[in-house]
Amino acid sequence: MPKVSAPPDANTGRRRGHRVTTSLSEINVVPLVDVMLVLLIIFMVAAPMMQKGIEVKLPVSRRADKMSAARPYITVPLSYRSDRRVLIDQESVSADVLGERVRQLMETRNDKDVFLRGDAGVQLQELFEVIDRLKAAGVQGVGIVALQRAGQ
Amino acid sequence: MTHSTHSRAADVASGFSRTSRVLLPLLIAASAAVWAQQPAPPPPAQQPSSVELRLTGDPGTPPRMAVPDLLALTPDRETQEAAKIISEVLWDDLNFEREFALIPRDTYKSIPAAGSIDAVPFDRWRELGADGVIIGTAQKTATGIRVELRLYNVRARQSAYGREYTGSAANPRIYAHTMADELHDSQRSLRGVARTKLTFISDRNREAVLATVEKRDVKEVFIADYDGASQRRITINRTMNLTPSWSPDGRSIAYTSYRSGGADILISNIFAGTMESPAKGIGQNYLPVFSPDGTRIAFTSNRDGNNEIYVVNRDGSNISRLTNNPAIDVTPTWSPTGTQIAFTSERRGQPQIFVVNIDGTGLRQITFESYADRPTWSPPPYNEIAFAARTGPGFDIKILGIASGETRQITFGEGSNESPAWAPNGRHLAFMSTRAGRSQVFTVDRDGRNLRQITRDGNNTTPNWSQ
Repeated sequence: MPKVSAPPDANTGRRRGHRVTTSLSEINVVPLVDVMLVLLIIFMVAAPMMQKGIEVKLPVSRRADKMSAARPYITVPLSYRSDRRVLIDQESVSADVLGERVRQLMETRNDKDVFLRGDAGVQLQELFEVIDRLKAAGVQGVGIVALQRAGQ
Repeated sequence: MTHSTHSRAADVASGFSRTSRVLLPLLIAASAAVWAQQPAPPPPAQQPSSVELRLTGDPGTPPRMAVPDLLALTPDRETQEAAKIISEVLWDDLNFEREFALIPRDTYKSIPAAGSIDAVPFDRWRELGADGVIIGTAQKTATGIRVELRLYNVRARQSAYGREYTGSAANPRIYAHTMADELHDSQRSLRGVARTKLTFISDRNREAVLATVEKRDVKEVFIADYDGASQRRITINRTMNLTPSWSPDGRSIAYTSYRSGGADILISNIFAGTMESPAKGIGQNYLPVFSPDGTRIAFTSNRDGNNEIYVVNRDGSNISRLTNNPAIDVTPTWSPTGTQIAFTSERRGQPQIFVVNIDGTGLRQITFESYADRPTWSPPPYNEIAFAARTGPGFDIKILGIASGETRQITFGEGSNESPAWAPNGRHLAFMSTRAGRSQVFTVDRDGRNLRQITRDGNNTTPNWSQ
């Protein structure tokens, strides 16, 4: 969590820990910080993405880390928009049961991270519906999978 | 159990106290609701379930189970409530033994209810990760309720176990408890405890003092289901009653009572409504415990001048003294075979736990704590003695493996934790703890997990678990 401590007030010397009245127009940064904690961007070495006839076109990124660990994949295909179904590894499940299924997966794992493969056409709002469910299921880290931009 | 027999039980239990007449109508009213209409033990299954199959989960994990609400086949409110209660209690009973991984009930919302007991949306349950799902129906009948419960193997899409029960609708929990015990037996070869009961001492009624100021502590014997439901009072003598202990058949409770001034042992036959006094009021008699076969009682008495352990037949005959020592010997507990007794003794200075053969030979010290008290010998297959050990300002529950000689601790200084008592399958303990403020009864698994608070009202102490 980035330190967001207020600098000591020059006049009164008040420090963090004292309640300081802030103006209402200030941007609420908490959710943003929260999300940044969880997300890391990872790129796939292997590109083929065909599963059960569902094609997922991964977004392309220039600056992504190499995937290093075997973790459950949550795939959000473009069809999520119409049927609200995602894939846990190879298995297609309704978004309604995603939370419980991922909770079951996490029970036996020490590493509470998953990889999230979203189609490049999936809207951020849709992706966040999925991320919310993952977080509620006890997932601590979500790696967003991207393809390495060609030529790099 | 009918109305009239229980009234008699209440009468006998209270007949010794002049002022308790006032309470009587209340008690009868309360108990009639619980007992008079309580269904007799459900009859043997009528469901012609062909092959009984064992459910399996993924390798190395317990089967995942879902227990959605039962389908109410009749629209009346009583049946609908029973349908909900049975599924909730069954979920809880199955979760208690940790033999199945129960899928939280709030995740079932998206799955449509089965249209009938035969039309189960297996795909949807499989999608939720269930290996088994219990689908049931509840239907009002002329005399009460009919409950049908079926365990489906979701992977194989077939019924693995089925039962049908009929009886009163007054306490639907009993159907869930019965099904849970039968499922644990058939699916996991485990003797479940869903139909067992706890007895304990409570001062929750905060009753006015009877007689002298010294008798201010009005503590009475209570019983409750293993999960804390259906708590009710057993004694009404408005003095101090302590350390209740179930008979193996679950029909009697022995306890220490100050009803007649000094401490003496009483046995209340809670269904017959009669009482016995096996120690016959000679000296001060405390801490009764039934032998595993129910024919004898071990207790502590100072009849020969100092507290020693005695064994007496239930009818008061053939009393024998097991210990003979100038130090205090108290809190006997029987070995599962009834051939040995463990007890607390101060003969080596601080209280420690000793074991002695029932004929008085073979005495040996088994704990070497700074202070150990209240041993309770586990039923098979575990050969362990749980006890309370002083670990700081208060006590904690420790368990000694008799064969291994190793001691492990299952509570860690949250309040004082005392008076352990084993569940009949040896997988759980009831004990008293002050972790929630006042003294309350809790249950916990033998590995220290699955802590549950059983009582909340008043001070509740010295639990004992029925067989």
